[in-house]
Amino acid sequence: MIPVRATFEKRRRAKYISHLDLMRCMQRAFRRADVPIWFTEGFNPHAYLMFPLALSLGYESGCECMDFRIDGEMSMQTAMQRLNAVLPEDLQLVKVAPPVRKHTDIAFADYRVCLDVSEGTAEELRAAWDAFIAQPEILVEKKTKRGTAMVDLKANAQILMVQTLQDGLWLKLRMPAGTSVNVNPSLLMDAFTASLPEGLRTGMLRAERLAILCADGTDFV
Amino acid sequence: MLFEKIEPLLLNVQKPARYIGGEAGSVMKDKKDVKCRFAFVFPDRYDVGMSNLGMKILYTCINNRPEYWCERVFAPDSDFEQAMRENDVPLYALESLEPVRDFDFIGFTIGYELCYTNILNLLDLAGVPLLQKDRGETLAPIVCAGGSCCCNAEPLADFFDLFFIGEGEELDLEVMDLYTKMKEQGATRSEFLRAAAQIEGVYVPSLYDVTYNEDGTVSAITPKDGAPAKVRKRIISDFNNVTVPEEFVVPFAEIVHDRAVTEVLRGCIRGCRFCQAGFLYRPFREKSPEVICEQSRKLIANTGYEELSLCSLSTSDHSQIEEMMDGLLTFTEDAHINLSLPSLRVDNFSTALMNRIRRVRSSGLTFAPEAGTQRLRDVINKNVTEEELLRTCKIAFQGGQAAVKLYFMMGLPTETDDDIRGIVELAQRVVDSFFEMDERPKGKSVQITCSVATFVPKPFTPFEFHPQDTREMIEHKQKVLEEAVSGHKRIRANWHSPDTSILEAVLARGDRRLGKVILEAWKRGCIFDAWSEHFRFDLWEEAFAACGLDMAFYASRPRSYEEIFPWDHMDFYVDKEFLIRENEKAKQAGCTPHCRMQCANCGVTKVTKKPCFDYKKEAEA
Repeated sequence: MIPVRATFEKRRRAKYISHLDLMRCMQRAFRRADVPIWFTEGFNPHAYLMFPLALSLGYESGCECMDFRIDGEMSMQTAMQRLNAVLPEDLQLVKVAPPVRKHTDIAFADYRVCLDVSEGTAEELRAAWDAFIAQPEILVEKKTKRGTAMVDLKANAQILMVQTLQDGLWLKLRMPAGTSVNVNPSLLMDAFTASLPEGLRTGMLRAERLAILCADGTDFV
Repeated sequence: MLFEKIEPLLLNVQKPARYIGGEAGSVMKDKKDVKCRFAFVFPDRYDVGMSNLGMKILYTCINNRPEYWCERVFAPDSDFEQAMRENDVPLYALESLEPVRDFDFIGFTIGYELCYTNILNLLDLAGVPLLQKDRGETLAPIVCAGGSCCCNAEPLADFFDLFFIGEGEELDLEVMDLYTKMKEQGATRSEFLRAAAQIEGVYVPSLYDVTYNEDGTVSAITPKDGAPAKVRKRIISDFNNVTVPEEFVVPFAEIVHDRAVTEVLRGCIRGCRFCQAGFLYRPFREKSPEVICEQSRKLIANTGYEELSLCSLSTSDHSQIEEMMDGLLTFTEDAHINLSLPSLRVDNFSTALMNRIRRVRSSGLTFAPEAGTQRLRDVINKNVTEEELLRTCKIAFQGGQAAVKLYFMMGLPTETDDDIRGIVELAQRVVDSFFEMDERPKGKSVQITCSVATFVPKPFTPFEFHPQDTREMIEHKQKVLEEAVSGHKRIRANWHSPDTSILEAVLARGDRRLGKVILEAWKRGCIFDAWSEHFRFDLWEEAFAACGLDMAFYASRPRSYEEIFPWDHMDFYVDKEFLIRENEKAKQAGCTPHCRMQCANCGVTKVTKKPCFDYKKEAEA
């Protein structure tokens, strides 16, 4: 039995696959690729596939992560080649390696978000952003499994970079991520969009996860 | 490519994966290498259309040819349709993401009458003139359709350039071949249509003049420009070697039937008199167990599906079902594949077969006795006896099942209130048979659900002459059923408003004059008529009134044997004389044995020039 941690990218057309659909898609890919994946033992055996961190619908990523076990005579590299041959071109494995860190080590994720200006100018949008993020706290309601909770986005988001473009803004953010706390950058973008005055309008044009990180700032994979 | 334009819209709509393609198994080609592009449109939502086996078959047939490219198109849900219209995104195909109005063919598959307004809506979204006569002489796009509803395409005649009649595996390609040749020669639309009409199985409605009597019935259907007087359907004669999909487009989003499907047989030997499919798809043809297993194995390997289903009108009528099941179970069990078996008949559901199915995870049993009394089952030639049904239910109960679903119809010819009460009586005897058993499933109580649909008489069946029950008659019978079932706590009955069935009956046996009603209904906002949340019967009534036509004329008028029907210029191999004989027999509650037992001389062999079965061999078996 070989435990494998695979890194894969999810781009273009594949970014609209929901997390649930992605799991089903991967299970079928293993069957198509004829990779001997380990099945759980029990009343209802199923292929063991573990995704430590879900990605929001519409986000692109080059660093998604999936764990599985090879139950037979096949190298990780062969498994990766065979999976890539049967996966859609916008959903491809980029790396396979033995798992090192525990899933619970995941603490942050980095994102790049692109905002476009549909009303107003990029400079006005930049000024509005600077004012928005300078607030002492940014409280929003977050839906959880147990109802809604208030989250202070200001305390949670680290702004790594802001760049003004001709028709919008590029932002690089670090957000809490993992099994216990997970804050989606869309929450921050929604709060920002809602705070804009009349005559200034924006929308999230593109979002990408850049890295999944552990508490010490090192890459999870 | 519309990708940049579509992308910003997708995050604001439900289930965007339906609108962007890119699934495993979808066929990408370079349009520079392609001579003819076919947009295959399923006029309903992605999750319904992606489940359709016919679409998968023809997608494979066309894409197997390197010079042709077939792409998929589905109806967008209301939220995405609105976004498309607001942002000037025309209807596009999921592979290339290019507008379908630029394709050579826009081909619809039409399996249900209640999708007709969707067809108009999709043509409108595509930016293609709705009426055939407004499309001018440029060759492309040819708007065409196939599928079971095309056996009476008359209500749609105004909107289509041509129809494919019968099975499309070979026919569609022959039409594309002709088109490609004539496109190179610079032909006009009407030149192409006249030439296409010479291909067996092609129906070009604009080449036929229809005139009417004063009472509204058809007086004559006259072909012109050399079009054949009768359009004969196409069939595949060598069914074992017909092109089948070895892979499917495997969707990301969940769809209605999300599994591998193997077609095991086509046609049906039973001759149930209400069932249009049973007559349209004759003759009966089956694949050998070896071919079925081999095709299933390949399909599972190429799609990665965890479930395999068998498709046919009646799977247990396969002459070698035991061998087939053995072969399928051997490989599916090893590979952790679930096997599901729809379309099993009650009468030949043997203990041996049941035991095999029990090795597969089961999910409730459904049977379709169709009528509550033996007399009425004889009228419709559903040759299932009560004893057979009870025996089968008992086998199922012994196998641990406790919930049985029974399908019935109401409004069948000769039906009385006693037949309706018979539904509940039959269900009660199923309940009784459960309690008569010594070894009942532990901790479970029996539950029988009776689903009762309103009967719709269809063309090419012995009941094509029959009036559909009026709304008042159906509502009365529903009341009778409600009274009969009250007080039976282990029996549940459900039924629906007859409105959809009335519209279905009108469109199924309608003539060309209904074209303007469909257009009017769509203009008034009718769309997705098959979905109860969208269905607006009041708007349809308004549309009929505006066009001066009467639904009752089409749905609930008795039709004489002498009347010329709007579909009489279609030849589905089955003789009208045979349908008349069967209808007369129905009135006497007389049964016709199934085709394997005895040939009923339906007319098929006059065309195929050979008996459908080796009767000597059948007698020995």
